Amino acid sequence: MRGTGLQAERTLLAWQRTLIVLIAVALLYLRDPFQEGGPQGGDDPLHRLIPVLGVLVAVGLLIVHLRRRWRATEHGLRDDRTGRPPAPVARPWALVLTSAAVAALALAVAAGAVAGQAGWW
Amino acid sequence: MATGRDPSIEGSPGTGDERSGGSRGVEPDYRFTLANERTFLAWIRTALALIAGAVAVLHLVPLDWHTGVQLAIGFALTGLAIVITVYAPLRWLRVQKAMRREQPLPMTALPVITAVGVAVVCAVVLFGNYWS
Repeated sequence: MRGTGLQAERTLLAWQRTLIVLIAVALLYLRDPFQEGGPQGGDDPLHRLIPVLGVLVAVGLLIVHLRRRWRATEHGLRDDRTGRPPAPVARPWALVLTSAAVAALALAVAAGAVAGQAGWW
Repeated sequence: MATGRDPSIEGSPGTGDERSGGSRGVEPDYRFTLANERTFLAWIRTALALIAGAVAVLHLVPLDWHTGVQLAIGFALTGLAIVITVYAPLRWLRVQKAMRREQPLPMTALPVITAVGVAVVCAVVLFGNYWS
């Protein structure tokens, strides 16, 4: 069968893109505002570090999971259990973990804004 | 071939032929499963883009907007992102189950919701520029 591993490889690349964007957004959130005098209000960087670290731990887990599974399936060629290319590339729990990490980041961004604006009212 | 609704929303545990989207029906062509997975990831990246916008509005860029407008835009973006992140895995599972049973794929309102949400945010941004 020609091109068997290509679909799985394309999916792995989609995973990589997603995780890279996730790391980038998490680091963007960590960055101090573009203005003189550091952060505005009471939203200190240490406050933002906790959710970001949580997200990075989740990303690390996902990377390890994807790598191990990719190796176990001969780089996306064959899943021993089915004899076919691995589908999905990651296990369903990994999808849920990804969603949870992104949702947690969104919540942290919103909550951090409330904390930061508290001194403004 | 069993049809009908499967009440269990769990992917079955790792038995020998454990596959995606429950154990009923037949395992779909692996290419369809992979395409479904990539669609999920595309939704996740959409949510991440919205979050990046929210980070810019709420934390990063000094804006001369009314604080209420700024918060409203930030919350709209993060809210939309959370809706997408909740919906994307459920959508993945539903599509997977439909494919296993060789049923037509379920429709989803999510693209419309996202488009309308982003349009509203754009309108509010325009409004916010002329507010102060």
